Parts: sequence; C-alpha cells; structure tokens
Amino acid sequence: MADMVSIPHSQPQQHQFNPYTENGGTILAIAGADFSVIAGDTRQSEGYSIQTRYAPKVFRLTDKAVLAVNGFAADGNMFVKKVRQRLEWYRHAHAKDMPIRAIARLIQTMLYSRRFFPYYVYNILGGIEEDGTGAVYSFDPVGSYEREACRAAGAAQSLVQPFLDNQIYFKNQTPAPGTSFPGHLSLSTVLSLVIDSFTSATERHIEVGDGLEMYIVLAKNSPSIQSLRDIRGMSELTATEDGERVFVVRRDLKKD
Amino acid sequence: MSIMEYNGGSVIAMAGKDCVAIASDLRLGNQMLSISSNFQRVFPVTDRIYIGLPGLATDVTTLRERFRLRVNMYTIKEEREIEPEAFTHLVSSTLYEHRFGPYFISPVVAGISKTPTGGIKPFIAATDLIGCINFAKDFVVSGTASSKLFGVAEGLWEPDLGPEDLFETISQTLLNAVDRDAFSGWGAVVHVITKDQVITRKLKARMD
Amino acid sequence: MSIAAQTDSCPRQPIVTGTSVLALKYKDGVMMAADNLASYGSLARFKDIQRLHPVGKYTVIGAGGDMSDFQYIQKFLEQLIIEEFTSQDGHDLGPAQIHEYLSQVMYSRRSKINPLWNSLLVGGFKDGKSFLSYVDLLGTTYSATTLATGFGAYLAQPILRKEVEGRENELTEEEAIRIMESCMKVLYYRDARSLDKYQLAVITADGVKISESRHLSTTWSFAEGIRGYGAQTQ
Repeated sequence: MADMVSIPHSQPQQHQFNPYTENGGTILAIAGADFSVIAGDTRQSEGYSIQTRYAPKVFRLTDKAVLAVNGFAADGNMFVKKVRQRLEWYRHAHAKDMPIRAIARLIQTMLYSRRFFPYYVYNILGGIEEDGTGAVYSFDPVGSYEREACRAAGAAQSLVQPFLDNQIYFKNQTPAPGTSFPGHLSLSTVLSLVIDSFTSATERHIEVGDGLEMYIVLAKNSPSIQSLRDIRGMSELTATEDGERVFVVRRDLKKD
Repeated sequence: MSIMEYNGGSVIAMAGKDCVAIASDLRLGNQMLSISSNFQRVFPVTDRIYIGLPGLATDVTTLRERFRLRVNMYTIKEEREIEPEAFTHLVSSTLYEHRFGPYFISPVVAGISKTPTGGIKPFIAATDLIGCINFAKDFVVSGTASSKLFGVAEGLWEPDLGPEDLFETISQTLLNAVDRDAFSGWGAVVHVITKDQVITRKLKARMD
Repeated sequence: MSIAAQTDSCPRQPIVTGTSVLALKYKDGVMMAADNLASYGSLARFKDIQRLHPVGKYTVIGAGGDMSDFQYIQKFLEQLIIEEFTSQDGHDLGPAQIHEYLSQVMYSRRSKINPLWNSLLVGGFKDGKSFLSYVDLLGTTYSATTLATGFGAYLAQPILRKEVEGRENELTEEEAIRIMESCMKVLYYRDARSLDKYQLAVITADGVKISESRHLSTTWSFAEGIRGYGAQTQ
C-alpha cells in the first residue's frame, strides 16, 4: 500500500455553465364575456439588480391574440419571435389570422418540441375566440395548457392568484340571500382588479414594479368600448378594420 | 425538505379600529400527508393577548408551555398582567436564546394594549424563528402560506375596520390563501379581540 | 481531457478578461467608457487593450468578459460589415441591426452550451436617433438610457441613473464626460480588476469617435489614516 499513488480524485469541480437565469416580473390575464385583459409589469431584473425599468413582457400577436411571457427573458423573447414567425407563415398560407385556440395548440407543440431543453418561460395567451367570447390560455414551460377565466404567473403568482380566486371566481364567498353573483365581470371591474393586483404585488415583491402594461382585446362591436372612453393613458393598436380591437394602457408602478 | 414545512400551517393577524384579529388554519400534516383537521396553534396568553405558533408541531407544544411559564413568572414578579409589547419581547428573547439551534416556529402576536393616557391601542407583531420582531400597523403573516397571505391581505385590508368587518376581511384572506397552499387548510379558527371581549369562530373550509 | 474535447463541446471559462463597460445617452448621442486592462485572473496581464470597438459607421460595441471571445466577435462583425458593403444595396447596418445580429449569435451559442463569455454594450446613432442596448453570454438583452456591465452594474449604474435619468435631452458632451470620469474613478478605487487608463467613445450625428487613452488622477493619502485591517493593526 505504501507505493500506491494517491490521485486527487476530484479537482474542485469547474463551475458548469448554466444556460438559464430568472428575470423576475409578473404577468396576469383575465377573460370577460366579450373581452380579455392581458397585463404584465415592465421591470427586468437579475438577482438584486434592476437591469431595466422598461422591458415589455406582453406582446400583440394578432388583432385577436395577445401573448404574455415570463421567466428567462432571452428564452421569452426568442419564443415570441418564433411564434410570430409561425403566425406570419399561417397568414401567407391562409390569408387570415390564426384563431386563438389554434395559436394555443401551436404554442403547446412549440414548447413541447423543446421538452428536453425547455424554454424556461411561463406563457399566458389572451384574446377573443372565434365565437366572440373572451379567452385566456395558460401554459407551463413544457406545453401543458388549459383554457380558463383568469391566471397569474411569474414571481408574484403566489401573491396574486389567491386574490383573483376570491375576486374573480368569488371563492369562499356566498351571495346575500335572494341575490346571485354577476355571471360576467365588467371591463372596468376587471381593469380595477388588475391594477390592484399589481400595486399589491409591487408593495410586497421586490422583483415587481416600475411600470404596468395592460392589453385589452375587445370582441367585434363589443359594448365594453364604453368603459374605455375615460381611461387614462390608453392607446389603440388595432391593425385591421371592422374586427376585434386591441388597446394598451400604460401605468406607473412604484420604482423602489 | 425544510423543517419549517414539515407539519404545515399558517397564521395571520390584522389590526382594526380598537380591535385586532388573529386567525389560523387547523391542519396538521406529515409532509404531504394530512394527519389532523383540528390542530390548535393559536393560544390565549392573557385575556387580551393571543399568540399563534406556526411551524414544527413539536415546538408548538414546547413553546406554548415555555411561554406559559415565563408569563406566569412575569405576572408573579411584576404583580400585573403582561402587555402585548412586553410579551412580544419575551417571545423574541426566548427564541433568540436558541440562536444557533432554534425552535422552528415563527410566532404571531395579537392583542390590545393600554396607552399611558388610559386609552387602548390594537397591537400586532410577528417574529422569525430566531426572534427578529416585525411590528406592523396593518397585518402580519406567518407559516407555509405566508406569501399567499401577503398577496390577499395587501388587496383586501383597509384601515379602521370594525370587529365585524375585520372578521370578514381576515377570514376571506386566510381562507383564500390556504386554499392555494398544499400544507395549510382543513378548517380554520378566528379570534377577534376587542376591549371587553374575545369572539372566537370556527370557519368551514375546503377539506381537499 | 484533450484540447479538442475541451474546445468542441465542453463549456469553457473566461481566461483573459476585461471588466466593466459604461454607457449613457446624452443630448447629441451616446457615450461609452471602458478601461484598457485585460486581466489574467488577478494578474494585470495586458494594460493597453482596446475594449471599445467601432462597427460600421454608426456603432460602437464595448465588451467585458473574455477578450479572445471579444476579438472573435470583432472579426465576424467586420466580415458582416464587408459583406453588407459589397452587396451595394443602398442599405447599411445601424446599431439596432448589429445588436439584433449579436443577440442571435450570443443566444444560439448559449443554446449550444458553448457561450461567447461576454457582456456587451452596443451604442450608436443613426437617422437622428440614439441607440443603446445590452447583450450577454446567455442571450439576455435589454436597453435603458444608462447601462453598465460587470462591477459597473453595482458601482456605477446608481450614479449614472441619478445623473442622467430624465436629463437625456439636455446633457452636454462636457457634462457626460465629467459623469463618465467620476464613475470610472469610483470603479478604479473599488474594482480590483480595473485600471486608471480608459477610453471614451462618442457616437453622434458626426459619426464614431473613440478617444486616445485617458488617465484618471487619484489620491491615496487617505490610506495612511485607515486603521483596523491590512498589515498594521493599530
């Protein structure tokens, strides 16, 4: 045994390159009867550093579909780019915009195709279905998806989602005797809840803040347009005539 | 897995106008397995002070007894009832004594304190497992659903709620938060403390 | 492990490295700053390295991280500019196009788990508009009116934001130089891998200008008065 050479059998492991990081922020979408609201904050961070106070996480795909992406920003931006490319090919092949339920399925296959090197991104797709109803689809990073009425994702998901359960689904509430809950919430109620959700999340989560972008998709001839008349800081992004309409509302959030 | 999440459970306290409320779920679990739906972790300290002890269940029992002893010693020595502020510091120093081998509990204190002018003031506070105190004016949360409690409370709480409105607010906050937490739920209890009475109510909750 | 295996697929580590790069938008365009040091671990190995590099007529890129990767980036961007020029199609690449191209290269290299180990700032001015953006080894991108890489993100960025945010359209070149100089000084005092020799780049309507190396004057007399750590204890 004396002549046995001891080989240092593991050198201090070289730090392995990690192709992922987390860039904070939160996204949220709520569907109404004939509209959909898709929102996200605009802070991008890594660790305790704020990289920028304005990096959009919500993107208009078509006049009836808006996509919010949250997680690893580089993957998010690349994913949106690739979805948009596929939608353009569809437009060239079929001379119309892809319906939202088809976009949802497309996103699933695109995410799952990277099952073993995933896009580290949570997606929420909002917009108007072919039958004119408001829709929200939410995805996990590898493509599991579901249509629902409301969803929060990202850094402050755990803060916002239970609040939405209470205020959107009326969970743990019972209507006063002889009354019932509203079947659908109005656009102005939904916008107030979105703003409250983000101001609350900004108050208690360090990765949320700086700015808020709320995209509003309205069904064809939706009467909900009335409640948008006196909304501060709104602009229209609609590209096509007499179809669904897309608006964006920008608000400041606390910067600390 | 973290010891703080071994048994599950959450506590919240809120301040209102001349009243405070403290509420907790009733679940006791072994990691993902639920054991009991009637586990008490909120205890009266005096007529006007309650303490909630979310964290490791074995330490709930130990700390409750320890605090009972120390409050009794205080009452005997001082010949008066302990005030919420003093009790919170007692909690803090008890936990800090075990700075490098702590009890896995992060307590919440709620009570009504007396002001020097003879008035009353709602008091709430929480500490971490080694006794760092957080005196808050609005609400304090603790336990496995704390991030959810923060989110809902930040959205629902408003200043100067009366006992009934405060009860509704704390109940809704707790229920909706624990329904999104795998380690909390299975029933809940709420104590609303006012100047001259404590109202205790058990809440019906989701049992899944 | 063989050299071939190491360069083929295994992730590498940065060898000869540059530290912070700073940039800000001001009245006339964009200003960038980087010192002239390339370190080999803690050794100040090369003290006359250029880390600000012009690309085309409207753009400057500044790099922190691995300097050989940076020189490789310079090489393929030069090739890109030549190809663009020889096509003579009436288009030329502005800072936005160069940043987009760089981002795609950086992201595809990270996706092959073989990253170009850099943090890059791309600054430029074209068609009356300032451009300033960041890209790194992960393919992460963002833009703001002030940017800083490396230690600069902690030490200089807070100063830059305080001085610049909201004043982008009134800051003069003289003021911008003063701000940059004070930030570089903070970095020289506190970043052990930095140098008191640095360069400034300005990109305006007049095109790209990269200064000769400039020297930071510093004082160290206060060090005499420091007690409590180091060799002497009292």
